[in-house]
Amino acid sequence: MNCEVCQLKELEVEHFEIREVLQCILHTIVFHRALGLVRPKDVDMELLEITYVQCGDVELEKKIDEKIDQFINWVDKHPNKKSQICLSFYEVKNKQATWFNKIERLYWEQWYINLNVAQHPKSHSGKSHHSKVLVDPEEMAYEDRSARRAALEASVRDALFQIIKFVNEKKDHVPPIPNREGISFPYEIAIPSSSDSAFGMDMIKRMLQTGHPTMLS
Amino acid sequence: MKGMASSHGNIQSESAKMEQIITEFFTKSLHIILESRSAYLSSRNFSGEQVLSSPSSSTSSSSSVRPRDKWFNLALRDCPAALENIDFWRQSTFEPMVVDVVLVQRPRDWDPVNISPRPGLARNLSLKERFPNCWNSDREDVSWDSKSEKIIERWIIQYENRKSGCSGSKRSSSSSLHTLYKKSILLMRSLYLTVRLFPAYKLFHKLNSSNQLRSFNLAHHVSSFVEPFTRREEAEMQRFGFAPVETACGRLSVSVLYHSSVLDVSSEPKTPMSPQFIPDYVGSPLTDTLKRFPSLPVTKATTQGSLSSSLFSRRHSWSYDNYRASIPCTSFSPSPSPTHIGSRAMVSHVNPCRPPPMSLPAQPPDPTTAETRNIHFDEYWPSPTFSPSTSSSPPVHAPGTPLSKALGRSGSAPVTIPAIKLPHAPSLLKRHVALPSPPPKGSQLRTSRSEKSSAVIDQLSSLRDDIEKASSGKASNTLTWTFSRSSSRLSLQEDFDDAEFACPFDMDDDDDMTNPDNRPESLDQKATLSDPLLSGTLIPGQKSQDAAVGTLVRILKKAPPLRQDMSKSLNASGTLTVPSVSSTISPSTIPTKTTSDALEELQSYREMKDLLLNKSCKFINN
Repeated sequence: MNCEVCQLKELEVEHFEIREVLQCILHTIVFHRALGLVRPKDVDMELLEITYVQCGDVELEKKIDEKIDQFINWVDKHPNKKSQICLSFYEVKNKQATWFNKIERLYWEQWYINLNVAQHPKSHSGKSHHSKVLVDPEEMAYEDRSARRAALEASVRDALFQIIKFVNEKKDHVPPIPNREGISFPYEIAIPSSSDSAFGMDMIKRMLQTGHPTMLS
Repeated sequence: MKGMASSHGNIQSESAKMEQIITEFFTKSLHIILESRSAYLSSRNFSGEQVLSSPSSSTSSSSSVRPRDKWFNLALRDCPAALENIDFWRQSTFEPMVVDVVLVQRPRDWDPVNISPRPGLARNLSLKERFPNCWNSDREDVSWDSKSEKIIERWIIQYENRKSGCSGSKRSSSSSLHTLYKKSILLMRSLYLTVRLFPAYKLFHKLNSSNQLRSFNLAHHVSSFVEPFTRREEAEMQRFGFAPVETACGRLSVSVLYHSSVLDVSSEPKTPMSPQFIPDYVGSPLTDTLKRFPSLPVTKATTQGSLSSSLFSRRHSWSYDNYRASIPCTSFSPSPSPTHIGSRAMVSHVNPCRPPPMSLPAQPPDPTTAETRNIHFDEYWPSPTFSPSTSSSPPVHAPGTPLSKALGRSGSAPVTIPAIKLPHAPSLLKRHVALPSPPPKGSQLRTSRSEKSSAVIDQLSSLRDDIEKASSGKASNTLTWTFSRSSSRLSLQEDFDDAEFACPFDMDDDDDMTNPDNRPESLDQKATLSDPLLSGTLIPGQKSQDAAVGTLVRILKKAPPLRQDMSKSLNASGTLTVPSVSSTISPSTIPTKTTSDALEELQSYREMKDLLLNKSCKFINN
């Protein structure tokens, strides 16, 4: 089984936008991987004029929110850093070893959400070099903000279409729909852990883990 | 799909199953598209409710899983428009399905009830001037009942049979069915999301989420054959195609041509909307009252202590649901015309019953015109229920009449908003708009039995709120004035009299509080209490604290309503005079009232509220 990887385009967000943007992206991906019976729930974003879809599953929402909380905590401790969240889908395989039963995760898909959390914009004094003193700094800030907002909306929209495109083009690697309860394939959300290098290691380990079973089996 | 694997070897049933999947694929696709394009079916309201309510109830709202929901594991809201249109594809052999989403724009003189021009209201810009970019296409057709229609999306769902015939052995066909089904699920998921990302969805969203009349509407028509776009038209549109799903014998595909410039329509009015876009509606008492509806329950909610949260929560489309739910006209049924003719007639019958202030200025007083109006209503009724292609007959084109035209005429109905909602207006207004109206009796009793002190606080805060509105809100002034003038049934007097039973503490503590003989006493107290300096000595030791609070509440209830003053003054010479109703306060004490008086009084009410809050906190703690 192949592990397909999708690297989403980097999204430049401000701190207060992290939560909603991540919710939008993560739920959108999971919606496409929750192939059990779902009753979709439309969600209008507060910050952007975008409507995305959730599966309407409480557990799933809770898990995603928890992970986002953890991620925001991490961002608070590590400002000025680009960061990555990895949403992986896997199958659970009972590997029949002779001496112990090992449950193994076979990753079949990974989504990398790349965020660049912008620092809070400097105070208006920074803009005093503008020759036009007549321009109200408040107004300037407002224009800046709305331009930035529009840019973010466009890039989130792009990311959503990127997801749609990926889902459409790559269907063969998706395992058969599990019969058991639970609307989604098993998944995990990896956020950067407290030390950056460990996160990298973690990723590499996961890649290796994913790669190997395919080669062996 | 359960028995699929067991049918190994049975080619007949395999292909039957595949056919069924394909049919359901058409059905579901149409459902997904129309559910997010066909206005007034309030699919958004449904989801809004879900967002609002607790997560667990999201499934309980329509807990039963219907067979239709199971297809592609996607449970959708009811969409009669989709059901109506699907019959043809259920019977036929995989004809392509073309779904056109049409933007219908009103001409400038469009009037929801009468086509006659309306005097007295200023109209500054024509629609064409307001929307230059929507009219510049070469499809400009003022001849069609002076409406402009433009296809903004064309969805094409088709099944292409492979010429070489079916491939694959029996064995693989079984597994390919599974794969086909899984891939179809995936396609449906992304279709569901994608329809919400296209520009047309914004229009749909606006139509459904706002209570204003729009100058545009969305219509749709579904057919197996359409006039292809001209090259020029097609050049203006963008294409999005979903990756086709391969089947054993062919492939299923969904694609769409869409106008990205639709965005201009939806975003442009957004900012200048209130002052310029439809001044006729925005500024009129009609829309003001309509606009107030969603917030009205808030007034009621104060008795439950949820004032702040409900006041400031984002207003959603579902806020209308309360008013919609009880009205039969909105319950679209999937069955063809007879029912709908009935409901249409109903709407227009209801129409003349509207109270004078709600009706549009130009509505002729002559009731005999109701007949004429029926016709207009029919013309503007939305297409979902009024399409020529009824369920019994496939959408065959009448020769010479392009389908789009035939459908287009029936394709829009912004009328639904006023026509449906207005009949309910009088009762609502009567109960909520007037300032001194007490909460309904029932809730009073309920609150008195439960959390007493908090109820008092809430009542006070709601009262204060009203006072604030009265002293500052211009809109509410206008509103009160309009209603007190034009309809005696809605007069404040009546509500004011109702205030007799307003005190929740009467029944518990002190019966003679309600006795009119005690009023002078209350008046004295009032005089004392309204003085902020003395208010600290609130009824010292006379009665139980409950009783004291009760008295105070009653005094406040009895106090002359500020807004009434203003309305009266507006009616009369423009000077503010004491209303005769306020028997509880001697005219000599407060001879005239000005805004500053009102503010002062508000201030004192505020202080009283704070005091009460303190007291009740202590009371609770004790």
